[in-house]
Amino acid sequence: MLKDITIGQYLPGSSFLHKLDPRTKIIAVAVYMISLFVVNNFWGLGAMLVLSLAIVLISRIPLRFFFRGIKAIVFIVLLTVILQMFMTPGEPLVELGFLKITKEGVHQAVFMGTRLVLLVSVTSILTLTTTPIALTDGIENLLKPFQKIGVPAHELAMMMTIALRFIPTLVEETDKIMKAQSARGADFESGNLLERAKAMIPLLVPLFLNAIKRADELALAMEARCYHGGDGRTRMKALQYSGRDAIAGVCCLCMAAGAFLTRFI
Amino acid sequence: MSLEMNHVYYTYQEGSPAESHALQDICLNINEGEFLGIVGHTGSGKSTLIQHLNGLLKPSKGEVLIDDIDINRKDAKAQRKERRMRVGLVFQYPEYQLFEETVELDIGFGPRSMGLSEAEVTSRVQEAMALMQLDYNALRKQSPFDLSGGQKRKVAIAGVLAMKPKYLVLDEPTAGLDPMGREEFLELLGQLHQQGMTIIMVSHSMDDMARYAQRMIVMDHGKIQLEGTPREIFAQPVKLRELGLDVPTLTKLLLELKQRGLDVRTDLFEPQAVKAEIMRALKAGKEQVTC
Ligand SMILES: Nc1ncnc2c1ncn2[C@@H]1O[C@H](COP(=O)(O)OP(=O)(O)OP(=O)(O)O)[C@@H](O)[C@H]1O
Ligand SMILES: [Mg+2]
Repeated sequence: MLKDITIGQYLPGSSFLHKLDPRTKIIAVAVYMISLFVVNNFWGLGAMLVLSLAIVLISRIPLRFFFRGIKAIVFIVLLTVILQMFMTPGEPLVELGFLKITKEGVHQAVFMGTRLVLLVSVTSILTLTTTPIALTDGIENLLKPFQKIGVPAHELAMMMTIALRFIPTLVEETDKIMKAQSARGADFESGNLLERAKAMIPLLVPLFLNAIKRADELALAMEARCYHGGDGRTRMKALQYSGRDAIAGVCCLCMAAGAFLTRFI
Repeated sequence: MSLEMNHVYYTYQEGSPAESHALQDICLNINEGEFLGIVGHTGSGKSTLIQHLNGLLKPSKGEVLIDDIDINRKDAKAQRKERRMRVGLVFQYPEYQLFEETVELDIGFGPRSMGLSEAEVTSRVQEAMALMQLDYNALRKQSPFDLSGGQKRKVAIAGVLAMKPKYLVLDEPTAGLDPMGREEFLELLGQLHQQGMTIIMVSHSMDDMARYAQRMIVMDHGKIQLEGTPREIFAQPVKLRELGLDVPTLTKLLLELKQRGLDVRTDLFEPQAVKAEIMRALKAGKEQVTC
């Protein structure tokens, strides 16, 4: 359930993608997203599909693991596809009473469905191949230029780091408290909505108490290590572009140009 | 009437690259009235094992029987809940589970969710608090969060005892207690055991095991490596060290003495017996010297 969501998880490895600089990867994902919405015909979409498959293969993430993450969004994709199919006005293909499937609808559905799946795939590849720390370092670094206009780059990145760091801890803790309360006869699975909401109290009270306590302790531990914000801080792992990033950059440019050109096919 | 595990396997995160085989082919029979100790180094699967005993975890393979009923079988649904209630489980650091406004309400949570009447719940709460040596009248209206660490632990355990389990399973119940609290608590477990409760305790302290357990199992990498009475187990110091464990302090003393040349038995651990053995060896040694 909770554990099946792979977006945000990191899987250690040594593939080409794992070794890329996080900034390159973040920019590449942004360019990829734009390209995905620039293409407007099946040639372009097909090319993006092939490209995405290649990216997944290069990352050397076990396919079984990867597809389990995708399964989590199946419902959203289906909903989008169905809504697009029935709601888009145009030339009707099939009519079922007041419902009709239009040609434009099918076209839209295929496009939106594919785009959604690809989007989630490539973003999860980003997080699967990048440690949360590297990711936030990358974001902080990319946001630096905007600091002059008041974007709190370091604070944002630090908040993200902390949030990402504590998600697994919270999941683990939820699991632990749930077990302890079920051993005392708590029932989280049956009953109507109201009963279920009430059954959550024995879970939520300890969970929140612990989270607040932990936040306190973390603040103290950070202060004890002389944390005082981002000014003048140096890094153990300074970000450094390498030849790989140049290759990836060129590939990105080609992708963007290619995506733009497919519009004229 | 017993708890039984037959060829139980359990795998965390099956199918993912991080999968870990926490239990492998566990066969275990726990008789009523027994005091069973479970030891093993960190990560050997002790906590995973005990969570099977009341159905919190379902075996990937194999079966778990509570008083002859397989608690994971689909068709035994009606009996399942009742059977699971026969096994009280106290987790490591159980004070995490406190959540109610008052001590009384918190201890009553278990009995109440068993569907008992309010009068019955109250009497159970009183009983459990008396067992844990908590003053009912002084503490009942207090918030559990205002208590000291040791008291919180007692309240949490009372919350399990109030359900009157036939089998009481405890995961490192003395971790983080001060020496006095620890002693008190173990005494109490001994008493409960004497009153006929079956007790299954996970602990890292060999001294506690030596004193209280009637039978022990030693776990390593998800398997039961040794099984027997404390005497049988502690007679194998080499094997125990291989498994990342040690013998009780007094046995260690005997082993040390033996290494230094005193001819003593090394399979003892009760203070009286150890003392007698050392005295005997010293006397025998002296006689040898004088002859
Ligand atoms: N929720 C989980 N997800 C994945 N692996 C787990 C999980 N819980 C435990 N494990 C793994 O299962 C194995 C057994 O863990 P378990 O908690 O049963 O050990 P333990 O003997 O209780 O250790 P300790 O003495 O530290 O409490 C360990 O290798 C652990 O890494
Ligand atoms: Mg444990």
